[in-house]
Amino acid sequence: MASKFGLAGGIPERRVRPIWDAIDSRQFKNALKHSTSLLAKCPNSPYALALKSLILERMGKSDEALSVCLNAKDLLYKNESLLMDDLTLSTLQIVFQRLDRLDLATGCYEYACSKFPSNLDLMMGLFNCYVREYSFVKQQQTAIKMYKLVGEERFLLWAVCSIQLQVFCGNGGEKLAMLAEGLLKKHVASHSLHEPEALIVYISILEQQARCGDALEILSGKLGSLLIIEVDKLRIQGRLLARSGDYATGADIYEKILELCPDDWECFLHYLGCLLEDGSSWSNGVHNDPINPQKSVDCKVSQLPDEVFHSRISTSLAFVKKLQADTSDDFIRCPYLAILEIERRKQLHGKGNDDDIVEALMLYFLKFGHLASFSSDVEAFLQVLSPDKKTEFLAKLMKTLDSPATVPTKALGQSITIFKIQELTGNLYKLPVLELESCAVQMVKMYCKSLPLSKDLDPQESMHGEELLSMVCNVLVQLFWRTRHLGYFIEAIMVLEFGLTIRRYIWQYKILLLHLYSHLGVISLAYEWYKSLDMKNILMETVSHHILPQMLASPLWGDLNNLLKDYLKFMDDHFRESADLTFLAYRHRNYSKVIEFVQFKERLQRSNQYLVARVETSVLQLKQKADNIEEEEDVLKSLNSGVHFVELSNEIGSKTLTFNEDFHSRPWWTPTTEKNYLLGPFEGLSYCPKENLTKEREENVRRVVEKKSLLPRMIYLSIHSASASLKESVEENGSKSGSKISSELKFLLEHHAKMLGYSLSDAVEVVMGVSSGVKSFEAFGSDEIDWINFAVFLNAWNLNSHEPLQPDRDQCGRGIWHVVDTLLVKYISEKIKSMESLVCSPRVDLPILVQLVTEPLAWHGLVIQSCVRSSLPSGKKKKKGGSMDQHSSLVLNGVRDSIQSLCDILKEVAKWIRGQIDRPEDESVENILSSLRKKEQDEGPGRVFHVLESLIPSINEAEHGGRICQELKTWSALDVARKIVTGDSTLLSQFLNICESKIKSFQALKQQIAPI
Amino acid sequence: MTTIRRFSCNDLLRFASVNLDHLTETFNMSFYMTYLARWPDYFHVADGPGNKVMGYIMGKVEGQGESWHGHVTAVTVAAEYRRQQLAKKLMNLLEEISDKIDKAYFVDLFVRASNTPAIKMYEKLGYVIYRRVLRYYSGEEDGLDMRKALSRDVEKKSIIPLKRPITPDELEYD
Repeated sequence: MASKFGLAGGIPERRVRPIWDAIDSRQFKNALKHSTSLLAKCPNSPYALALKSLILERMGKSDEALSVCLNAKDLLYKNESLLMDDLTLSTLQIVFQRLDRLDLATGCYEYACSKFPSNLDLMMGLFNCYVREYSFVKQQQTAIKMYKLVGEERFLLWAVCSIQLQVFCGNGGEKLAMLAEGLLKKHVASHSLHEPEALIVYISILEQQARCGDALEILSGKLGSLLIIEVDKLRIQGRLLARSGDYATGADIYEKILELCPDDWECFLHYLGCLLEDGSSWSNGVHNDPINPQKSVDCKVSQLPDEVFHSRISTSLAFVKKLQADTSDDFIRCPYLAILEIERRKQLHGKGNDDDIVEALMLYFLKFGHLASFSSDVEAFLQVLSPDKKTEFLAKLMKTLDSPATVPTKALGQSITIFKIQELTGNLYKLPVLELESCAVQMVKMYCKSLPLSKDLDPQESMHGEELLSMVCNVLVQLFWRTRHLGYFIEAIMVLEFGLTIRRYIWQYKILLLHLYSHLGVISLAYEWYKSLDMKNILMETVSHHILPQMLASPLWGDLNNLLKDYLKFMDDHFRESADLTFLAYRHRNYSKVIEFVQFKERLQRSNQYLVARVETSVLQLKQKADNIEEEEDVLKSLNSGVHFVELSNEIGSKTLTFNEDFHSRPWWTPTTEKNYLLGPFEGLSYCPKENLTKEREENVRRVVEKKSLLPRMIYLSIHSASASLKESVEENGSKSGSKISSELKFLLEHHAKMLGYSLSDAVEVVMGVSSGVKSFEAFGSDEIDWINFAVFLNAWNLNSHEPLQPDRDQCGRGIWHVVDTLLVKYISEKIKSMESLVCSPRVDLPILVQLVTEPLAWHGLVIQSCVRSSLPSGKKKKKGGSMDQHSSLVLNGVRDSIQSLCDILKEVAKWIRGQIDRPEDESVENILSSLRKKEQDEGPGRVFHVLESLIPSINEAEHGGRICQELKTWSALDVARKIVTGDSTLLSQFLNICESKIKSFQALKQQIAPI
Repeated sequence: MTTIRRFSCNDLLRFASVNLDHLTETFNMSFYMTYLARWPDYFHVADGPGNKVMGYIMGKVEGQGESWHGHVTAVTVAAEYRRQQLAKKLMNLLEEISDKIDKAYFVDLFVRASNTPAIKMYEKLGYVIYRRVLRYYSGEEDGLDMRKALSRDVEKKSIIPLKRPITPDELEYD
């Protein structure tokens, strides 16, 4: 905060220095003291007031800060003799920004600029304000003014960027690009350009207008020398040539680049694209979807005549061979993989054959088969082979095992690659159970054998053969899916826990374990592993899908709350600071980053996960407070009675959502958050590719958000409907507010029913049918929670409605308590019965049970609480008449019955939970371990585990090194089994607490209602 | 098989497989974006076939006079692509930019004193230990400041090791 002539905002610097120092060291009380004494001396100084408001804001006194800040602003406006200095303005700006009043900050700068129209500092401040407000047009106008004032290149580029932002992120049409070009052209003619970034922007504006020829001319002219690194220039040239259709020259340029960078795969694809005159690689949208890019270039079938095609293919082959000959570096793979791409193109043209591809694959394997990246390199090429050819390729690979590489790590790498290819082609999972089991045994034996290779490695370094245990886990889970034998599942857990005992940093194992424990129903352990991955900042956007959906249906509310809170904080912080970073890019003249930053912020703002997290955070608050209606009402008040969420629900259909989750690290059995193959029967699915399911996911997310965002409002209306029903019965029949509530709730019920695929009356039929037993629960499909929620809200509406639910029955105004109670009781008891103990099968129904209790049952509980509160003969709720009318007494009977049946079913749940928790720990541990105790030659689970267990006695320092020996000494399968049992108890205890709190709340209601 | 190009914001959504590694720090957004806004030439990503992120390097250029230098803030490679000399390629690129575009005198980096594999790698790439910074990492572990002289430092003055260790508050730059 240095200033000219020792003055800061018109005050001698020595007077303000103590305030700055105190603020910097976060001693705000002290700062306030200094500020008060400064204001005593300079009561009318806008800067002194601005400082005070800054301190107040930092102390959390927002209202006071705003009022002082506004005061400072008024003084600044009034006192024209005072300097409109940037220091005062920027201090006010900081405070206004932190108070979410960007408009006021902008107003200050606008005023200052109107007073001092040729002050560049103030204009830059104003430009910055518009950047913060994303007002691209005003940015442009301000930048042009600055450009006119001083004629500097950078201000012209600020204007040009602002124009581009209008085209990319605003409503600006294509004509604007012409305007930007005109501005640049004029400037270049008189001043040329001096920054490489300015040239890049110029070229991109021409490209936007499909004027590649003009762009090329500029690039090859004097301005081209701004790009110092030759390859950078060549890349742009190649792209422009290809896009302008001059493929021949384009191919020459790409040849040049490949000679300089022979390992540049993308460049090779462009080269081939030019030769075959196929422009798809410049417009395949790879960069539009950065998370799920295509594995191979989506090329068109070449339209070239056969002889031309052949000659171009020969040219490319000859060039690639030359590259191979010229490069001595053993790590350069591109010229070798290029042969495979050429063969693939031949096949697409109808001129290739599978044998050539297999041969090329074999050659590539012999050279690079030991590398961990081999299988992902060739994945796209395997996909074009017929199943028979895949098998043939595998057979050839197997044959290479007869004469393995001499270097042990290389031999190991090759063997792992062969397993991976088996996995990738799906051939592994076609094996009969016994052979598949043997395969897993073989893998784990290979792992044990490879341990000595890592004896001298630093614990931080990845060990040789680590991937084997991930593959073993994949096979074991496949075996579990086929046989439903839980032993395989437990074995998969043990294998990974064993691997992590040897080296605790392997994130791939942790993610697999996280999903295994989730499926098993021990979400507490899954969350432990998730935490150990230390996923923070942007990883929360891309990787928290591993845990978030499971947590949403778990009773671990504290952990879920942290997860959601951290994520939303990260996103909101970014939205707040993004504009300042954009301005930083302007200041440092990195214009292409300006556009990138704004687009990236928009991408995150449209994130589907962000939307879901916002809705779910509110639903979680509602769940947590549902046992106490007053507290619930506070939550609802903070959510504006759910009104905003209804708006969100209405808008969701027209919103463009982004899907930023990175699914690559998900296990095969759950390739997306919506899919878990293990929940269904074995499908004979041998290879589960991580399909790009964005379209399907998009619909699903919209549906979920649309439904969930109605919840807060429906809860609010239900509470009011219930109380209105009892109040009205003693007041006039059908008050204004009561009917308003009723009609809105009905509207939302109709909407809810529509989302379930029914009209309101048909949905009522379904609910009645299932409750009475005429229809089975299957009528609800997988939307059971939504259906029961619907029944709960339907009851609440019916309490205060004068319309019959079903035409032939008169249930007006009394509710359908028994229907909701029956649904809840039936459904919950069914779930309890279906769940065996953990040691028999995964508890896949536990999340549903938790949801039933914490959602529909809790909402129903709120309706009950509302009825009870309205019928209490005390305080404001005191009834005028004193005696109970018939309507109220009917309603209260329903309430009484409801309390009783909910209490009973909750006690059942609690009893079941206690039964699980109280099971002797040793017995449960023993049950888990017994499923694994097999001799190696026996069939069934336990063979892999046996290999690992028998490794322990043979471990020795000389062979395996001190570290591995030491770590393995701590391995205990018993401890892992105990951890599972304890983790299960932890989770169930949390659920028990929720149930007990609800029981207590219902019992209290029972007592309250007894005398009425 | 490496297409090395400038890092862009969208790459932040693609680098999970690299950053899940326990030694790779995931910084907050303003950290990455400040680097992108100020030193985009020093932030590169390596893409492999199938558009996979193989690794990336981030750095900056700063200092005055003969201390004008390139700095490697982070260099990291996904497990799948290790032992292929990718880190070397990324480092060479940063050195080239420091040397040719910014005419810096040297490139430096900090490494945990206990991270022997990394220290060995940097030594192979021509870096020498210039000085030890006491308790540089969270006030606990010492850091080593390693340097490599560039062509502008003809006499290689910038890499003559300091005799005594320094404390973090003696560092010229953050």
